[in-house]
Amino acid sequence: MPARPDGNADYIRVAGLQVSYDGTTLALADMDLVASKGDFVAVLGPSGCGKSTLLHAMSGVLQPQAGGIEIGGHAVEGSMGSDAPLIGYVFQDHRLLPWRTVAQNISIVLHAAGVPKVEIEDRIERYLTMLQIDRLRDAWPMRLSGGQRQRVSIARALALQPAVVLMDEPFSTLDEVTARLMRQQLAELWQESGQTIVFVTHSIREALFLANRVYVLTKGPARVLEVVDIPIERPRRYEDPRLTELEGQIVNRVMSVWGYGEPEFEPTNQERQ
Amino acid sequence: MTTAPAIAVEGVGLRSRERSRRVQAFIVASLLALGVWQLATFVSDGWVPSLGRIAAAFLEDLTTVQVWADIWVTFRRILVTFSAATVIGVGLGVAIGLSRRIAAFFRPIIVIGLAIPDPVYIIVAILVLGTEESSGLIALVIALVPFVVNIVVSGVRARDQGLDEMSSVYRLGRRRYLLDVLGRQVAPALLAATRTSFAFAWKLIVLVEALTQPRGIGAQIYYSFRLLRPDHMISLALLFIIVLRATEAIVFTPLERRLLGWMR
Repeated sequence: MPARPDGNADYIRVAGLQVSYDGTTLALADMDLVASKGDFVAVLGPSGCGKSTLLHAMSGVLQPQAGGIEIGGHAVEGSMGSDAPLIGYVFQDHRLLPWRTVAQNISIVLHAAGVPKVEIEDRIERYLTMLQIDRLRDAWPMRLSGGQRQRVSIARALALQPAVVLMDEPFSTLDEVTARLMRQQLAELWQESGQTIVFVTHSIREALFLANRVYVLTKGPARVLEVVDIPIERPRRYEDPRLTELEGQIVNRVMSVWGYGEPEFEPTNQERQ
Repeated sequence: MTTAPAIAVEGVGLRSRERSRRVQAFIVASLLALGVWQLATFVSDGWVPSLGRIAAAFLEDLTTVQVWADIWVTFRRILVTFSAATVIGVGLGVAIGLSRRIAAFFRPIIVIGLAIPDPVYIIVAILVLGTEESSGLIALVIALVPFVVNIVVSGVRARDQGLDEMSSVYRLGRRRYLLDVLGRQVAPALLAATRTSFAFAWKLIVLVEALTQPRGIGAQIYYSFRLLRPDHMISLALLFIIVLRATEAIVFTPLERRLLGWMR
């Protein structure tokens, strides 16, 4: 899908990225990705293919062996300058400080980002309300359910008002009903905020439901197998038959590539044509 | 059907019964210990003082100004050694826990430091630095530091690496990381280290005072021993233990509640 009307094309540019943890075995091999400003891009791949590694590199935590990442015209490096774009990160496991209340978990990040004190309270209020957890602002994280913790984690990332929000399988540990509610909420939030989101997942349906564009990766070391644009209007329904059809096509495409053998599914009408 | 308030009341009742059982167990154990002690006084030809004699000596020491002066001397020495050992041990422990290179350098020294018996430090310090007050205190700090380092290193190594990553992604900065992320994670280990350091400082300072110093509770206990006054030896030790327990209750318990309150 092309850039949104108000966005800048290629706001995120990942080119020829190679990452290795031990210097010999590659976790990512020649990875390319582009996203426009305000885009919602999903990165889809099997477990252990290097999806999280991609986000680590994009956040500047991990130094690539080759290739480069640019966000908003700034090269992402280990120690980025103060003018570097802010990055929000939603981890698979919330990673909240258990000794800080919900509000404090957000404020510590805002303080560190240099948000003026007078604005911090406003932002906390706004984003907690947006995620419908404003009544939990003084609660300890350990008293919250998995879904509530993940909402706090999302509120922390969004309250920073970052240039890019990176999300690493944020709903994979939640029960299906909670996960569906959260996906719905995230889609609405994204439409409201217009932030650029890179969302990593191994769930094909989740990627198709949320994203404008899906990068399908090979198994590790990952490289891009296919880029799929999702031409379905919003708001979307999780049970939309068009999503089911697209899902079938992707499953057929990745079965052998992800190492599960040849596809056993009947091709859809569209594929027959 | 059981209602929520009924469950709450039941919970309070259970906690109250549990507390009552603990108090009963404490009373039984105390009475048993006192009984055994009193029995020992009958079979020891008077070398083990009776409970009555200890109580009388305790009251006498409690009202003697000089005893309180000695308590203050010992308490000040404990504070100095405990504070120095905690500051050095925590700093070194955090550095060793975070850096493999620093760990490679200090680990063998810490292992050897833990293996050396504490009196050896004291004797070597006396031989090298003389019987000045400072020599004993230096020996104690050197003896305590490996214990503190060991506990802190374990705490730092057991930290949640995911929170390190979060700090890095959100660029929390070194100061916030050390205070808010690492510091709070290793707080239980730090508290354990300070308590250990405090307890060891007390035990060792008494030994140093007995060997080298004219003043302090250790010196007075040794003096009572030379005068064959075991009732006063025990009463002085009891008095100082009460002071230390009170310090723990006033300083460490509220600190623990403050740092670890979120766990409750």
